[in-house]
Order: sequence, then structure tokens, then C-alpha cells
Amino acid sequence: MSTVLAQTPTATGTESRRTPWAAVLALALFEARRLLLRAPMLLAFLLYIAWIVWRTPDFENGYPALQDADRATQSGPMLIALALLVCVNQAMLRSARRDTERHFAVLVLRPWQRTAGHALSVVPVVLLVAVCVGAQFGWMALGSGAVGTASVGELLVGPLTALLAGAFGVLLARLFSSVLAAPLAIVLLFFLLFGGAFPAGSGERGTRWLTPIVSENTSTAIPSGLMDRPAAWHALYLLGLALTVALVAVLVAGGRGPVLMGSVAAALALALTGGIVQTGALPDRTTVARARATNAPEKQQVCVRRDGSTYCAFPEWKPRTATWASVVDHVRSSAGGSARTQPVLVRQRVYATDGLASDGAIDPSANPHQVTVGTGWGGPRVPEFSAAVSSVLVTGSEKATSGLCDGRMVTIMWLALNWLPDPVKSLSNVRLDDSVTGSAIVLSPTNPMNMTSGQTSVVRELLDQPRESVAAKVKSHWAELTTPKVTSARAAELLGVKAPKEQDKCD
Amino acid sequence: MTPTVSASGLSLRYGGTHALDDVSLRLTPGVTGLIGPNGAGKTTLLRVLATALPADGGAFTVLGQDPATSAGRQEVRRALGYLPQTPGFHPDFTPFEFVDYVAILKELTDRGARHREVRRLLEQVDLGEVRGKRIKKLSGGMRQRVALAAALIGDPGFLVLDEPTVGLDPEQRMRFRELIAQAGEGRTVLLSTHQTEDVAMLCHRVLVMAGGRIRFDGTPAELTARAAGRVWSSTERDPGAKAGWRTGTGSFRNVGLPPVGADLLEPTLEDGYLLTLDEAEVSA
Repeated sequence: MSTVLAQTPTATGTESRRTPWAAVLALALFEARRLLLRAPMLLAFLLYIAWIVWRTPDFENGYPALQDADRATQSGPMLIALALLVCVNQAMLRSARRDTERHFAVLVLRPWQRTAGHALSVVPVVLLVAVCVGAQFGWMALGSGAVGTASVGELLVGPLTALLAGAFGVLLARLFSSVLAAPLAIVLLFFLLFGGAFPAGSGERGTRWLTPIVSENTSTAIPSGLMDRPAAWHALYLLGLALTVALVAVLVAGGRGPVLMGSVAAALALALTGGIVQTGALPDRTTVARARATNAPEKQQVCVRRDGSTYCAFPEWKPRTATWASVVDHVRSSAGGSARTQPVLVRQRVYATDGLASDGAIDPSANPHQVTVGTGWGGPRVPEFSAAVSSVLVTGSEKATSGLCDGRMVTIMWLALNWLPDPVKSLSNVRLDDSVTGSAIVLSPTNPMNMTSGQTSVVRELLDQPRESVAAKVKSHWAELTTPKVTSARAAELLGVKAPKEQDKCD
Repeated sequence: MTPTVSASGLSLRYGGTHALDDVSLRLTPGVTGLIGPNGAGKTTLLRVLATALPADGGAFTVLGQDPATSAGRQEVRRALGYLPQTPGFHPDFTPFEFVDYVAILKELTDRGARHREVRRLLEQVDLGEVRGKRIKKLSGGMRQRVALAAALIGDPGFLVLDEPTVGLDPEQRMRFRELIAQAGEGRTVLLSTHQTEDVAMLCHRVLVMAGGRIRFDGTPAELTARAAGRVWSSTERDPGAKAGWRTGTGSFRNVGLPPVGADLLEPTLEDGYLLTLDEAEVSA
């Protein structure tokens, strides 16, 4: 046989050897770097950032309610989630596809530890998504027009969706050795989520909360206290689900032991707790609070007095009262008669009976000199509110404006638009069909108004005239201009422009 | 006095075939060659010793660790360098990334030290210049050197090389021999090969395997000596020879039992190997 040594040879090794978990973390960092440099990931991040840059500045016309802004961060990360699912799945299958498994199988790190490394490799990507979500939300929140209260739970949905997708990619690779499994799973998920195959249920709660992103079909913000979305529970559910999926992948890879089993049980408990609580029925107190906010908002509002007028808002919108006051001042400054000094009550009103699914109209107020303002602002909402203010100054109340179909509409619209930076564009914005000619419905925070072709033509002409000159005529002929049944032709004559040739009958 | 690797009675069956049949061996520092025909059980033995495959019977230790236990197997793997037959690569990785990846899987966690070691090894195998190039763009010889560097990471005490010179051109093979010789300095290397020149040039010891059994265990000189007086030259192929072929000079070189008065030739290691295989066949 062979010669033998005087003592047992030992491997010299490297001093940097440490515990297996340090190696798992090193592997996670290595894989994370590769993940972030993969073409699909880079493309997904590029598109995601482009989406943020494109979407954020105009969100809610630059005057976001933060309880909506937080949800607006959720759909973009879906792109990263899909890319992550595919890329981490491919990374997991790399050694099997490239026949390095024979070699790696005899290295120190065991398959379940390598699986754990891959699962952890998605964390830096998730953190990057969190940074993007933070940047997007910060951009909206730091704007001067932002109001309201955000939910951390809602902000976590995007990153947690990415985490869930990454964990799912890892598990998928452990269950199916084909790289086609991930794209097929994505198709299946889309079918499930968007093809109506998932039992979404009805109402605000229910099984629809089992999907990662729970969107709302609404364009109207409501006070955050009335939303009652179980966002924190949903975040807990997503976290628990992601951890469960990742830990099951480690189990499938051969991981065993009490710590792992305990972790699986804990993750599952988190997912179940979050899942069950979030799908529970809406509390009665929320329904009552919504009804109260819709029917008797004054009980929940704070009021501010400015120049004799009163501005009442839900507490989260209090910072916006100064902007409303500025509109009232502008409109009143061009008005005549007692309207120039007429105090008004601007009250914020919202239809919140059905929460974020609410789609009901707000009835015009019968109270004299009360103007309704909604929760939105910026863009078309400014001329709409301006029109509401001028209509109340001209007719005395919102109720009186309903069904208005005479020459007073000329005065109302000129008062509403003349002070705005681009009056013609604002005219277009405030009309339902975005037109600046012909008849149209004019939007307002409550019931819409009608504008005839003739009125439109006169208002267009007035907006082309020097503002001071028209304002002087409005003031001097205020009484007649605000008399019911005054014709558009007479209003045009009083204001020094041609009488309309177009039809002057309401549709 | 304990060897690096000590195995006794290793056996493994694939269906009705004895891939390993009562294999016992002791390996000590230096390069040990493992030669044998296809299907002799060389790769199976290497995979068993590399803990990639459990044996049906028998036992072995590497550096005093018993791989039959989970902890022992981990210790063996910490001390092991393995270059599998036709190793796989991740083509989109660079040599640096690939060896770094293997280093991580061998629990080298200090990033700075690990990167220094990876760079040193890539320099050692002459890949320093191409360490940032994708593996898919490297030649077969370069890839094989990447695999050797990966096997050497972590300074293993026991290095298992399964036919590392297959498919290499003569120049690359010579370069690879230099590297294996370097690797064999101070550590135990088990080199499986079909190239008897590799064994003659590199190994201090040689194992001949056939039919799942070790048929010879000794020095290359001892294997060569087995053919002493059993190699002769003739003008025609001797029908009594176990093997015979025409050489470049036009005469026949015969291996076997020479006739009386034959023109005896100096034997080579290959002659000894052929005769050992022939004896194994007869005994089987």
C-alpha cells in the first residue's frame, strides 16, 4: 500500500470561513447584484421610473389627497414583481440548466441554504422598490397642494407584492425545473386576477382582499377616517404570505429543524391572521360615520373665517381653505352690487355613503349664500368651484342655480373664468365635452348647469375683452344682469358685445 | 500515521452491476493517478469520495472526518476540491464571478479576502487577463482552468480531479499538467485520467481500476516494471502477443509473453497498464 504521513494532514483552509448563515447572506448579496443587473430587471426599473415621472406630477391635478396618493404607488411595482418572479426563477434554475449541480452538490452550502440565499436575494430589489415608492409618495406629499393622511400599510403593498413575487419565483423553481413555469404562472395569475376567475366577491371587504393589490374605482377622495381600508392587515397578510412561500421553498429544498418549522408556522399564522381580519365585514361605526359625513358634514368639520366669509372643511383639508378663499375673493372682486361684499359660507361636502366606491352626486344646497366645494382641487376643479361661487353670488343659492336657463349664465361664467390664467382653456375644462363652442353642460361641485350656444359665444367674446372694462360694465349693470329671465342678447348688449346669433335655448 | 483519505470495503451496485466492489485505499499527499478503462468505476469512486454519491457498503474518512454523518460530510466538503468530469459552467458569468460563486458556496464569507483569493487563483491558472470576460467567450482549455481554479478555492486538503485533460490540445495539456503538479504540492490529489502520460509525468502513485476493483496500487515505476521482459519487437505482429502494433520504424511492438530469443524492448507505463488490465480480465 501507500506510504503514510507522520500525522493527520489537515486542510489549510481560509481564515475567512465563517458560519453557514454568513455564507447564505454572501450568496444572497451575490445573487441580488446579478438580479439587479439582469436585462429584464433593468428594463422593468426603467419603465417603472418612467411611469413614476410621467404619472406623479399630475396625480389628482397636483393637489393629492395622501390617502389616495399612497394607493397610487401600488400598481407600478407590479412590473418589478413580474420581472423579479421570472429572474429569480431563472437564477434558481441556473445550476440545473448549466449542469453545475454535480459540482455544487458537493460544496459546503446545502441546497436548502442555497434556496434561502436566493430567497434573500430578492430583499435588495424589494428595498429598491420601497425607495422608489418612497420617492414617488414623497414627490406627491411634499407638493404644496398635498393634504390628508397616508397609510404605511398602503405604502408597503408595492414592495411586499415584489417580495411575494420573488418568493413565488423561488418556490416555483423548487417545484418545476422548467424555465417556462414562471411565464406560465404569470399568465395564469393574470387570468386569475384580471380575467374574473378569482372569486372577488362583492362589497368593500371580502375575498378581493386576498389579491395583492386591492384597487378602488373612484375618483373622489374622502376623509381618511371614513375609508377604513384594512391596509395594515393586508400588509401583514402579504408579508406572512411571502414568508410562508419562501420558507416552504426552503422546506422543499430539504431544510429541516425546529427553527425552520417554527418560522413556517409563524409566517403562516401572520398570513392567516392578516387574511382573515382584512376580509371581515365593515364595522358599523364606519357606515355610521360615512352617513354622517355625507348628510351632516358640519359635525365633523373645522371652519375658518376670512374677510367675513366662512370656510368649513374636513380637518384634513383645512390647509386648502386659503386657496378657496382666494377664488372667492377673485370672483367677488369682479361682481357688483351687494355681491361684492356678500359673505359666503363655503362648505366642503362629499358623498361618502359607500366609502371609496361612492359614485353619488351631491345635492345643491338650499341655504342662501352657501357654496359647496368637493375634496378635489386643481385642474378643472378650480373653474368648477369658481363657477359655483359666481352662481351663488348671482342667484343667491345653489338650489336657485339648478335649472337656470337665461342670460345670467353669461355673467356667472364670465365672473367664474375671467380671473383665471387661461380663461378659454378653463372654459373648456369646466364643460363636460371640453368644448369652447356650442351648447354644453357646465360641471360644478353639485348639480351641473347648462350653457347655450349663444351664451357660449357671448362669454367667449367677453373673455377676449380687457378684463377691467368688462368688470366695470358688470358692476354698473349688476342688477339687470342678475335679474331672472334676462336674455343672453340683453346681457351681451349691457356688456358691450354683439348679441349672439346662435341658439339661446337650453337643451 | 494517518493518510488523508482512508477507505475500506467500498461497494456500490447499479442494478446488477458492481460499480465499486470492495474498494480499499489510502491516499497520501502528492498526486495519485487513477487509471482504468471506461466503465471501470473511476468516476463512481471519485464521486463517492467527493461525497456526491453514497456508497452501499464500506467506509471512508477524509482528513479524519467520516462523511457518513451529516457533520462529518460537511467537514469533508470544507476540505474538498472537486473538478467533475466535463464540468458545467454558467456561461454568462465571468471567471471571476464563477470562482467567487463557488467560494461563497464553500463558505468563504469575508468578501475582501475571498476576492483576493479568487484573483490569486485566476493568476495561478493564467486567467488573470480574462477574469472579466464571459465564460461563454473562453476556449475549452481556458474553461477547464476556470474549473480547476474553482476546485482549488478554499485551499482544499483533498483535491479530486476527474479527467481534467480530456479535450485539451497538447499544449493546453502540458500547461494543465504544470498546474496539477503545483496543486499537488502539499495536498492530496486524486487524478482520474485515460492519459498514461499524465500519470507517468505527474503521479507519485498510481491506482489501476477495472470492473469496480483496484487492480494495482503502487508507484508508476512499479507499474512499468510489471512489463519488464514482456515487451518485444518483431517484423510481423506476434500472434501470441496480448497487444501489438506497428511503430513508426516499421517494426511491431508486442506486449505479452515473448517467445524465446525475442528482441526485448524497454517497457513503458502503458505496457504495464495493458498487462494489468489483461490479468484483471483473466482473473474475472
